[in-house]
Amino acid sequence: MSNNKKYWKGIEELNDSPVFQEVKHKEFSEYIPVEEFLGEEENTLESSNTTRRDFLKYLGFGVTAASLAACEAPVVKAIPYLVKSDKVKPGVPNYYATAFSDGHDYVEIVVKNREGRPIKIDGNKKSPFTRGAINARVNSSVLELYDGKRLKAPQIGDKIVNWGQFNSTLRKQIENAISSGKKVRLMTASIYSPSTLRLIDKFKEEFAEGDVQHVTYDAISYSGMLEANKASFGILALPNYDLTKTKSIVSIGADFLNSFPNSIALTSQYGESRRPTKGWMSKHFQFESSFSLTGTNADVRVPVKPSEHAAIVASLYNQIAAKTGGQKISAVATEYEERIKQAADHLLKNKGESIVLCGLNDASTQIIVNEINNLLGNYGNTLDIENPLYLNKGIDAEVNQLISDMKAGKVGVLITSGINPVYNMPSEKGFKEAMAKVKTTVAFSLRPNETTAESTFLAATHHYLEAWNDYNPVKGHYVLAQPTIRPLFDTNQLEDTLMALTKQSGSYHDYIKENWKSLIAKEIGFEDFWINTLHEGYYAAATIKEATDNQEEGSVGADINAAASKLPKPASVEWEIEFYQKVGIGNGNHAYNPWLQELPDPVSKMTWDNYIAMNPSDARENGFATEYGEQKDADTINITINGTTFKGVPVIAQPGQARGTLSVAVGYGQVIGKKDEVIGFNVYPAISTKNNPSNYSTEVSFESAGKSYPVATTQTHHTIMGRDSIVKETDWSTYANGSKEDYNPAHELHTHAGLRNVKDVTIWNRDIRDRAGHLWGMSIDLNACIGCGACVTSCNSENNIPVVGKDEVRRSREMHWIRIDRYFSSAEEQLPKSDRSYRKLEVPEDNPMVVHQPMMCQHCNDAPCETVCPVAATTHSNEGLNQMTYNRCIGTRYCANNCPYKVRRFNWFSYKNLEKFADLNPSQDDLGRMVLNPDVTVRSRGVMEKCSMCVQRIQDGKLTAKKEGRMVLDGEIETACASACPTNAITFGDLNDTESKVHKESISDRSFRVIEEIGTDANVYYQVKVRNIEKNNLA
Amino acid sequence: MNVIYTRLRAFSLGLFSFLLIFGTNPSNAYSQDGEKLFKSYCAACHSSGSNQLVGPGLAGATDRHDMEWLYEWVKDSPSMIESGEPKAVEIFEKFNKLLMPPQPVDNDEIDAIFAWVDEINAASAEGDGVASSGASSTVDEAEEADDSSQTTYIILAVVLALLVLVSILRTVQHSLKLVDAKRKGEELPEQESMWTALKTWIKGNKTIVALIAMVILVLVLKVGWDAALNIGVYTEYEPEQPIKFSHKLHAGENGIDCNYCHNTARNSQTAGIPSASTCMNCHTYITEGPEYGEEEIAKIYAALDFDPVTKTYGSNQKPIKWVKVHNLPDLSYFNHSQHVTVGKIACQECHGPVETFTVGKQHSSLTMGWCVDCHRETKVQMENNGYYDEIHKRLPEKLREEFMKDGKITVSELGGIECAKCHY
Repeated sequence: MSNNKKYWKGIEELNDSPVFQEVKHKEFSEYIPVEEFLGEEENTLESSNTTRRDFLKYLGFGVTAASLAACEAPVVKAIPYLVKSDKVKPGVPNYYATAFSDGHDYVEIVVKNREGRPIKIDGNKKSPFTRGAINARVNSSVLELYDGKRLKAPQIGDKIVNWGQFNSTLRKQIENAISSGKKVRLMTASIYSPSTLRLIDKFKEEFAEGDVQHVTYDAISYSGMLEANKASFGILALPNYDLTKTKSIVSIGADFLNSFPNSIALTSQYGESRRPTKGWMSKHFQFESSFSLTGTNADVRVPVKPSEHAAIVASLYNQIAAKTGGQKISAVATEYEERIKQAADHLLKNKGESIVLCGLNDASTQIIVNEINNLLGNYGNTLDIENPLYLNKGIDAEVNQLISDMKAGKVGVLITSGINPVYNMPSEKGFKEAMAKVKTTVAFSLRPNETTAESTFLAATHHYLEAWNDYNPVKGHYVLAQPTIRPLFDTNQLEDTLMALTKQSGSYHDYIKENWKSLIAKEIGFEDFWINTLHEGYYAAATIKEATDNQEEGSVGADINAAASKLPKPASVEWEIEFYQKVGIGNGNHAYNPWLQELPDPVSKMTWDNYIAMNPSDARENGFATEYGEQKDADTINITINGTTFKGVPVIAQPGQARGTLSVAVGYGQVIGKKDEVIGFNVYPAISTKNNPSNYSTEVSFESAGKSYPVATTQTHHTIMGRDSIVKETDWSTYANGSKEDYNPAHELHTHAGLRNVKDVTIWNRDIRDRAGHLWGMSIDLNACIGCGACVTSCNSENNIPVVGKDEVRRSREMHWIRIDRYFSSAEEQLPKSDRSYRKLEVPEDNPMVVHQPMMCQHCNDAPCETVCPVAATTHSNEGLNQMTYNRCIGTRYCANNCPYKVRRFNWFSYKNLEKFADLNPSQDDLGRMVLNPDVTVRSRGVMEKCSMCVQRIQDGKLTAKKEGRMVLDGEIETACASACPTNAITFGDLNDTESKVHKESISDRSFRVIEEIGTDANVYYQVKVRNIEKNNLA
Repeated sequence: MNVIYTRLRAFSLGLFSFLLIFGTNPSNAYSQDGEKLFKSYCAACHSSGSNQLVGPGLAGATDRHDMEWLYEWVKDSPSMIESGEPKAVEIFEKFNKLLMPPQPVDNDEIDAIFAWVDEINAASAEGDGVASSGASSTVDEAEEADDSSQTTYIILAVVLALLVLVSILRTVQHSLKLVDAKRKGEELPEQESMWTALKTWIKGNKTIVALIAMVILVLVLKVGWDAALNIGVYTEYEPEQPIKFSHKLHAGENGIDCNYCHNTARNSQTAGIPSASTCMNCHTYITEGPEYGEEEIAKIYAALDFDPVTKTYGSNQKPIKWVKVHNLPDLSYFNHSQHVTVGKIACQECHGPVETFTVGKQHSSLTMGWCVDCHRETKVQMENNGYYDEIHKRLPEKLREEFMKDGKITVSELGGIECAKCHY
């Protein structure tokens, strides 16, 4: 229980090492950058020869000049529309429903537009498929629209051309290739747009005399699963998962909350299954090697080696088959039989309400997983193969065939769109070399990348917020994606070129309309369909003709024994390495987005880098540093994976990493910012499928490189020092059978009148005006929070949070208003206060449990920060908000020092115009500035800032209510973090409204406030985390 | 045919304001009736001159047609066209086959209208180049603006005169001294310089000098303090605009509602500067203003690339760059709709008597003190607003009594002067 466990944010805190001691006591690093902000970049203050007299002269002149300048009225131009659209009201946002699809993530969204500029992306709450969920990559994608590095016009070679020339030249090239007997290949990410697919068919017909084919290439391939489903069910598609009613979840290496087909929707479903308030909650077993986001949320987590995943699947199958009458298969025994049995028993107890998932890209393993789900009767309940997902279609064999054709010189024209194979294809495939043998290579891309560098035709494409499209992500669910801004540059989309190549007139918009006219039943009426679908964002119908149909006839029922014989075998090597995707960066499609680079990884809390993760005990044995800070760097190694060597890469001790395994994130090694700085290193080329599935490698060796590498980790930043009542957790049986006193006892204080509830003790005299009208508050369910960080990037985009860069993050100067504190905890009882270390016991870092706790300004009614501000820049509103007035702030930082939650952020620099930050900050050029929220002030140097509970949204919501003459409705106002949360862990509302959800949650049995005993009377409530584990065994 | 009728009727309604503009044209006691009639029946589509609007200008109509024909035409032109009357058909064809709806006027009234039209055309032919009457009214105001600088000149002149007087008196005094010395046979005194005289005087009158010095110091400090407080305050800021738009003419004389042009004031944070297309609602046909003639209105046409003769728009459109008058700093958030729709405040309370301004200017200081003062005084408009009903219900009894001591609940009592109401 909470009071006999120790929680630690990192190894630094666990060992209470000097690094931690320093950070703990000094929220702001000792070094104050006076030099940098007073002096020039090179010519610092110290080295300059400005004398005191000169300084006074300049000062005097400066003051005079400033006052004189102030007398002159500034001339500000106001330029109204010439012809105003009746849909656009300056100052009033418009919202458009559309969809995000980049071949990796798919989600239906609502885009907020101000004066014609998209500025904020939220999930489409009406969508029954993606359920309003969103992730950090999607809500950050609005920044990429205003990226100055985008391709701005089509090019042939180095020459900028117009689209007419581009398309006609391309057509000639295709005709030439066909006439000389060469093949024409279109290579794209998975496409599930009915209109695009029809257009591609048309394209093939147009050049029917030649060999024209479409090849799907997914950077992260799920080919194994597709092939397994074809073998098991005759359907080359993925099943549609439903976790909402799943009581038992067993995942073997599947990071389904982060990197899995349809992971955004799965996150939302998972969140629902984890809420204990509905009378049950799911139990989640996770067998995995690297500590994934999904693993941090599991009830039972078993660290295993990646090569053991298949054996665990086989063993699990045998256990289930024994009880359900399935045939036994040969399986290699693993050392986890007891845990597997536990999982099998739980699955069997919940037949038809369980699910088994595996992340291995291996058809044999997936066939067995299919069979387990089949034996458990999950098909038709938690998995739907009748209405499959079309999100991933890439088949590895087709890609390999394409490459061998290219190498053989058989391909004359290669058109790539929305993919970057030169960057993310394993080097053993030799794609780059193969590309050199193709005469005409066309790349449709948003910005220059490794593939465009090798291509002869550069097609500058629309950002998805500028383009029309339609999607069919799952059978019976259709989506129209509409543009939210006119194209900023001379760009086009693949479909436009396909239309030009097939000599069709009109725009792609017209084409989609025509296509849908033919698909929609007459009685519905096309105009109604079109307007409604654009408005709602989706169209659900089982009645229309399937536009994308992947179903193929095939033998149903796979040979289990044959599959079992082909399973990857556990390797007996010293080291294995797993390739994984970090939460912000994913497969690397958006690695150039600074918001994502600065988002701390939810597990490692690292920013701006990838690295080799290793178990802390392994790291110690190999003599690598396990603690990191501003003054403490990581060690480096030279690592060879499948024959590819990476020199001087950092190695990080990651608690929870399986012993004897390493892991490394893909998607790095790309350029970012105006100066094209390379972040991390690219491990895609090292991936090999020769000996094992693409997920891991057993051929890895390393040696110390003997250098140090500065890393920017936020794990010990903003530590709530030495206080223990921060997180509260309990187990399912205590929660289900016990009372509030058992798992969430009220905090009592000793007073002269005996023990009193902390709520009844206060030293403050409260003004009767306080809390008279509204009382804005928040409730955060620690059970639903999975730590994904979508709230952090959503807050970035709503509140104009600056990007500070790696160097500043290292100095604890990240500016995020909301952070997700990730606490590790271990099962062992805490030792007496005199000895808080664990060194004598078993190693706590080997498999710790995790609590994710979003932390932002708690809006204390008795706020410690307010009383210490010498200029009353931070004050309390009678609606319960802790207000921060930037223009009054003189930057003493007393408030931050006095804040027990460490949620205040200081503007050390003028991020909006200092040269040092010009590279990364969106607010530094005219294009990037378009992403700023016009309702929120851009802060300047020397002022404090912090979470305002999106006061701009509160004010707007109240005003709307006043104009309509009614009270604010519950749920009408949402903070940016609450609206982004895919699991609805954050609830915002009026605590004074007794009917509101937040009020009900705030008085629930699970409700507590962080460090309530110090009497801050915060307006942010948390709900006790309930783990679905045996009593008193929070292991 | 009905469609056309409706359109024409819509034109007459839409151009209601047009009618009012003619108030500044020369009038004649004999044809007063004619002018009134012209405005109510004809002005929506016809000018009184020779320029074409929807239909032809009426100048010279009496020369082109005989009166009998005109009576018939005005009262029922559609049947004339239907009957195939050649002149009628010709006009119908010439003016894009737009039908003139039958007008409910009798022959006498038609006579009066054309009499008035002929009269003013005769008058304008005589007094060609004479400025229209609207211009004269603005002359005085321009002079008024110099009022404060005139005071300064007067003071300077008085000071100068006094100095001359002092100098004369000193010369006189010196001459008298010379005469006196000569008479007494004393050595002739040299005239001491003004500066030495002053020093001698100061030495003898230290108390007075100290008092004067203190007064000057206090004055300097006061002036300095006021100047410092006024940094960044631009009351009366009246920049020159790209188009000499007059609120006095539009809002004052023609009585156009503020919300007609600033149409987002009721539902957005900004009141909105009207788009050029809003101007064209009237200015498609009003091509001439009373003061600057066609010059200023032509700037709207230039922006929209509009040809006032063919009434067509071109593609070479350029936005109008107005100079913003009210510049609130970025750190404060202000929302018009809160004040206009919820607070039910008239535009003039902050913007002053805009309907009398020929050039837009900042009336209020827009300082935080100015905002806060108003929020302290102003009663919240709680009546018939469900939002405030609920807020009122939530107020504890004691607090309500305290608030109602002065008989009203003010904005500040409900938190209207808290920082984060405007600063975020």
